[in-house]
Parts: sequence; C-alpha cells; structure tokens
Amino acid sequence: MKLLRLLGAGFSMSLRRSVAFRINLFFDVLLAFTGLGTAIAAVLIVFTRADTLAGWSMAQFLVLIGTYQLITGLRSAFIDPNLSWFPETGIRNGKLDGYLLQPASSLFLSSLSLSSPLQLIQFVLGIGVLGWGIAAADRSPSVGGVASWLLLVVAGVVVTWALSVLLACLAFWAPKLQLDVFYHSAWQLGRYPTDVFARPLRILLTYVFPMALIASIPSTALLRGPRLGVLVAGVAASGGAAGLAVLTWRAGLRRYTGATS
Amino acid sequence: MRTLPRTGALLGFRLRQDVLEWSGAWWFLLTLVVQAVVAPLIGLFVWSAVYPDDPAIGRYYVAVILVTLMTESFEQHTFSERIYDGTLSHELLRPQPVVLGVIGTNLAVRAWLTLLGAPIVLLTALALRVGFDWWAVLRAVPYLVLAAALVFLWTFLLSLTAFWTDRVHAVVGFGGQVMFLLGGTAAPIGVLPDGWRRVAEVLPFYGMNGLPASVAAGTGAGGSLGYQLVWVVVLVGVVVVLWRAGVRRYTAVGS
Repeated sequence: MKLLRLLGAGFSMSLRRSVAFRINLFFDVLLAFTGLGTAIAAVLIVFTRADTLAGWSMAQFLVLIGTYQLITGLRSAFIDPNLSWFPETGIRNGKLDGYLLQPASSLFLSSLSLSSPLQLIQFVLGIGVLGWGIAAADRSPSVGGVASWLLLVVAGVVVTWALSVLLACLAFWAPKLQLDVFYHSAWQLGRYPTDVFARPLRILLTYVFPMALIASIPSTALLRGPRLGVLVAGVAASGGAAGLAVLTWRAGLRRYTGATS
Repeated sequence: MRTLPRTGALLGFRLRQDVLEWSGAWWFLLTLVVQAVVAPLIGLFVWSAVYPDDPAIGRYYVAVILVTLMTESFEQHTFSERIYDGTLSHELLRPQPVVLGVIGTNLAVRAWLTLLGAPIVLLTALALRVGFDWWAVLRAVPYLVLAAALVFLWTFLLSLTAFWTDRVHAVVGFGGQVMFLLGGTAAPIGVLPDGWRRVAEVLPFYGMNGLPASVAAGTGAGGSLGYQLVWVVVLVGVVVVLWRAGVRRYTAVGS
C-alpha cells in the first residue's frame, strides 16, 4: 500500500511537471499519433495486396497492434523513465546511491518511482485501435477470451518490467555495457505476430526474449478464446521473470560499492 | 581557390579523428547496427510472406539494409546535444564551418556501421540465396551517394529545430517515421496503392532509401538522379536558411 501511495505521488508530480511545457506536450502528442499511424499504415499497405498475412486477417492485426501499443504506452510511462540508460544515470552518475539511502525498496525506487504521464497517450490510442480491431473482426470475443487477454496483458507488463530490470542489472557487472538501443529495436518485433518470422527468430521471440508474450499471445487469446496451457505458461513466465529480476537485483546490490566510493 | 583543398583537409582530419574516437565504442555501434537493420528485416519478413516465390523481394530488402547502414544519420545526438549543453559556442568560435565537424562525425559513424553491419547483410543474402547483377550494383553507386546526402540533410534540418524546442528527438523520430513509410522500407514503392505511390515518387524520402536499393536490386522502379539532385538543392537551401535563423536565436539566448 505504501508503495502504491509512492507511485501515485510520483505520478502526480510528473504530471504537473509535464503539462507545464506546452510545446513539449504538443510534440509528444504528435509523435504518439504519427508513430501509431505509421504502424497502421504499414499494415494497411500489406492488406491491399493480401487478404491474410501468416494466417492473420486485418482485423486481427489491428487487435495485435492495439495490444502492443497499450503495453508500449505502459512501458514508456512507468518503466522507461526509470530504467532507460540505467548504466549511465543509475550507476556511473550515482543516482542509485541516492535511492539506497531512502527508506523504501531500492528496486521500487529505481524501477518505478518516476513516470512520464504523457506517454499514456499511447495507451489510450492503443485502446482505440483495439476497439477498432474488435469491431472489424468476424466474431466478437468471448468473456473467457477477454479475461484471458487481460491476464496475459498483465503477465506481459510484468515480463516487460522484469526484462528492463534484468537489463539494468547488467550494469552492476559491466557498467559500460549499454543495451537500451538494442532492447528498443528488438521491441519493434513485438508489433508483428511471431508467425511472420522465420523459425529460428520465432523460437527466440517466444522462449528466449519473449516478445510474443507482449502482443501476439494475448491477442490470440482474445480472438480465438482461452487455452489453459497458454495461460499457465504466461503466468509462470511472468512469475519466473519477476523472481529472477528480484534475485539478480539483490545480487547486483551486493556487488555494488557506490559511484562515489 | 585555396579554400576547397583546405576544407577537404579539415574534413579528412575530422573524419580520421572521429573514426578513431568511435573505435572505442564498438559495442554501442553494434547496437546501432541492430537498430538500423530491424525495420528493413521486418519489411523483408512481411513481404516475403506476401510474395513467397518472388526473389526480387529478398534482393530488394538486402539492398535496403545495406543502404540504411551506409546512410544512417544521428545529428539529433551528435549536433543537437551541443545546442542543449552549450558546447556549440566552442564550435562557433572556431575558424571553420560548424557543419564540417558534423559531416565528419556522420561519415565516421556510417563507416563503422557499414563495416560492422556487413556480416549481417552477407548472412541475410546467403540465407535467402540472393544473387545480384553487379552491373546494377555499380550503377546504384551515384544514387547511393545522393541518398546519403539527402538523409544527412533531412536529419540535420530536423536537428536544427533544437534551437527552438527541447523535443528534437521527437521531431527527428517523426522524420524517421515518414522515411520508413514513404521511403521504401515499410513496403517497396511499387506495391503501394496508386495514390500513395505517386506522392512517394515526388517526395524526397524515396530518394533517400528505396531508389538506390531498387537500382541495385534491378527491380526497375521509377526515379532518377535528377529527382535526387533537385531535392538535395532544395534541402541545402532550407538548411542554410534555418541555420542562419537558429544561430541568430542562439546568440540572442546566450548573450
């Protein structure tokens, strides 16, 4: 509860800071619209030449893009402002030292205390595209499908957070290693169903770097109904990833001697 | 008359300096290579799924990957940050054009990306069993040179907005999205719906990416060196105007 109150306070402060700069607000909104518009346009071009792509119809693709955009919005609003460029900001510039002195979990402070509320525009736009996709689909999703989509989206967000923490933890062992650009590039692959990619990449995106869990798997659950095995695997993957992130963070802190020492 | 060789010598010096400076950041450069190849690779997978039996798709996208690596520009980082942290003042005081340093850095980064990305291009070509007509590849070289100039001018132009806003990354990001959509990466320009294709053929973005790639791949889409040259002249004009306005504003802010 205390952590939730902290999260709320941080969000409120960030929101006030963000809306004070109107030009920045304008550019953030513009980029959110054009980014999503580009993604949708790229898919619409494909469907002028084909009825389905790797077994996915246009409506199903819209559901996928909506889900992807929604999770991307949450990541950009709550995770990226804290963990992006962590080796530089957290370790080399010593911001982590400040968090370690505060009376709250250092993992929470390092990964969730700051936020970028304007990025939630992407979340709202994602909901809109999701609604468009559902309306254009041949049949409406079942209640079970919606419930499993929700569960898998939560699992996807947890995996996203855990991946970001694990990436940040690398800095405890290799402070000069900067993988953010790589991570953000790989993230782009989540916008497409894994069925589109060649087999080795498909396996990599499902089991090693689980981008499939971000949009592909929740969208399939929404459109084709729940499958117990997938739900169990999704929840287990998120639990495992979160546990691994916490353990790695603790191991990293034991190794950390401070930027100023 | 002695200005041109002196400028060339200065550019060469800056290029050598930057090539050496970036050689220490090879891991970061590798992540930039990955960033550059992801979008064309997605295009390759998507369009290969649409046209599984068309070898021209593979050939075109292998060429797009190489063109992207050879023309990548990052002036929103290498130049705009100097406006934000104030170190542009040092550059303005030097007895040489500021843009020389920016071009030197740009060429050095491109050289490293091409070198580090070459194995990816080669592996993709081998995996897809893509074969090129080497005469077409040779013919694409002047198109590639002009494409490199266009991408630099476009990115530098957008980076100049740092004189007026601190959201230059959003502005350049927007420019990149337009390039992705209308430049031939999201889809080969030949498969765009008629209206879109006509617009794309007129705007400069196709000349930045898709045109040299289609010449190298021998897919025979429209576009000419003249069309690229016109856009180079237009963009140089706009860059000069914006640079002068920006520097006047920068002086006013710093005085």
